[in-house]
Amino acid sequence: MRQRSLIAITAALAAGALTLTACGSRDDDGGSDSGSGGTTVVIGVDAPLTGDLSALGLGIKNSVDLAAKTANKEKYVEGITFKIEALDDQGQASVGQQNATKLVANDDVLGVVGPLNSSVGESMQKVFDTAKLVEVSPANTNPALTQGVKWQTEKVRPYKSYFRTATTDAIQGPFAAQYVFNDAKKKKVFVIDDKKTYGAGLAATFTDEFKKLGGQVVGTEHINPDSKDFNAVATKVKNSGADVVYYGGEYPQAGPLSKQIKEAGAKIPLVGGDGIYSADFIKLAGAAGTGDLATSVGSPVEELPSAKEFVANYKAGGYKEDFEAYGGYSYDSAWAIIEAVKKVVEGNDGKLPDDARAKVVDAMQDVSFDGVTGKVSFDEFGDATNKQLTVYSVKDGDWTTVKSGTFTG
Amino acid sequence: MSGIGPVEPEEGTHALDAFPAPLPQRGRRARAFERHRRTVAAGFLAGAVLTGGGYLYVTRPRPEPPPAPPYPSQVTAVAYLKARTADPNTVPRGFTFEVEMTTESGPPVTVTRISQPYAGLSVSSSPRAPFRTKAGSPRKISITIRVTECGKVPRNAGLPFLDVTLRNTRARQVHSFILGSRYARDLSRALQAACSNETR
Repeated sequence: MRQRSLIAITAALAAGALTLTACGSRDDDGGSDSGSGGTTVVIGVDAPLTGDLSALGLGIKNSVDLAAKTANKEKYVEGITFKIEALDDQGQASVGQQNATKLVANDDVLGVVGPLNSSVGESMQKVFDTAKLVEVSPANTNPALTQGVKWQTEKVRPYKSYFRTATTDAIQGPFAAQYVFNDAKKKKVFVIDDKKTYGAGLAATFTDEFKKLGGQVVGTEHINPDSKDFNAVATKVKNSGADVVYYGGEYPQAGPLSKQIKEAGAKIPLVGGDGIYSADFIKLAGAAGTGDLATSVGSPVEELPSAKEFVANYKAGGYKEDFEAYGGYSYDSAWAIIEAVKKVVEGNDGKLPDDARAKVVDAMQDVSFDGVTGKVSFDEFGDATNKQLTVYSVKDGDWTTVKSGTFTG
Repeated sequence: MSGIGPVEPEEGTHALDAFPAPLPQRGRRARAFERHRRTVAAGFLAGAVLTGGGYLYVTRPRPEPPPAPPYPSQVTAVAYLKARTADPNTVPRGFTFEVEMTTESGPPVTVTRISQPYAGLSVSSSPRAPFRTKAGSPRKISITIRVTECGKVPRNAGLPFLDVTLRNTRARQVHSFILGSRYARDLSRALQAACSNETR
């Protein structure tokens, strides 16, 4: 009998211990993505979801999705459930413009994140601005989009509804030139671009600063972005005596270009902007790409605690694709829209007003919060006030941080 | 209704009527266990309590560890204030200007070095590095750039920057501060003036 009592006591203690453990040690609530009910607000996404640039585009889409789910989970805007509607622009300006028209036609859309390409952004701006629908690009870097085509001499904001969280090429190009000339000690550059708004613009701002510093441009070429055979250009680079190549364009062309330049016998680094800062560039350039350089917007993820949280949540979100170069900026772009919607709703007795789109555009100008990429707010042109840039180098099959800078002018 | 009732036990079918099975023969070990069963049970209980307690201890709710201090480059701002007219007698071929250095949050940041990347120029500061900036207490720093070799000086760089080595309890970093177009303009004017005097 005594033996049975002892066993019973032991069992009770063990059960009690397990019960206490279950009660006391975990805070996770296993919350759902269910919204806070009421009104649905759609955040549109436009990005290349198929084709060569889809790695970057899918990273944008997933990151916006994460922001919407986070807002719903936290019931960040009382009475509002956020949803996303993602459209594929295939990196084409004409498709982007059609997508803009589609998004405008959906009355539930109160803001759009995207696009990736500056040329696509250019084609969408007027459509959105006419409909007073706010657009926040996480990746457009061409200065003219916010400061007008004469941005070098006279800055004029062309569209009130357009904002961006990415730093512009007015800073990125010169920053790259300073690094290449002063730190990497390269004095003779061969400049190549893909003739697109982003690539040609970035190559121009790089070239301008490189010359001012005393560097020599020993050759220039344009490539056809639909081609992958750059042997003729690679031979020209080899014969030019350049000690560095600067490429204004994106990784689907930059990778093979780098490889073919090295195969032609020019063992010199290729340098590009945020458009080549992708894991896919490293795959395409192959082993010879070691030592190639890219500048990209923002600080390295490991330096930002907020970015670490984003990385963890993205992983937990189970997205198949990497968030890539613009994930943090896309999350912040979406969150800026969420903040603007919140301000509009709270200023209207908890409901969306009839002219919600116009109100969201106005509210966006004053948005300010601590985002994934640092402090998020916009200047009088709609540009991000946080202007950080980082130089990365290909090392051991990965991008490694070389140097970061902050524009404080 | 089939008329077939439940099967009734017959005589000799009661289990209790059967002869009891013989008890198994107990060995020396079993007898020893019988003697020490209280001790064994108490030991088992103590083990269970210890295991449960240990599990509870390991999985107890603990306060979040304090967040690591921020990287110094993420909390340091350097703003260009103004150019100061350099005294040509004391600062030959130089350009002196003021910046405001701010630590926005976190532990104090020590500036261990200020440099610039151009060949043909050298930099000094007042106060001299190393010096510290604390959160909430911006410091004005006077920086002098001297021309050491005019032939290597960029005359009109668009976005010149200062390289500042920062250190706090988290990390040591070299960070570039791009001070903007006003600084670029003032620097270019000063350098052009300094080097044109040299060639006269």
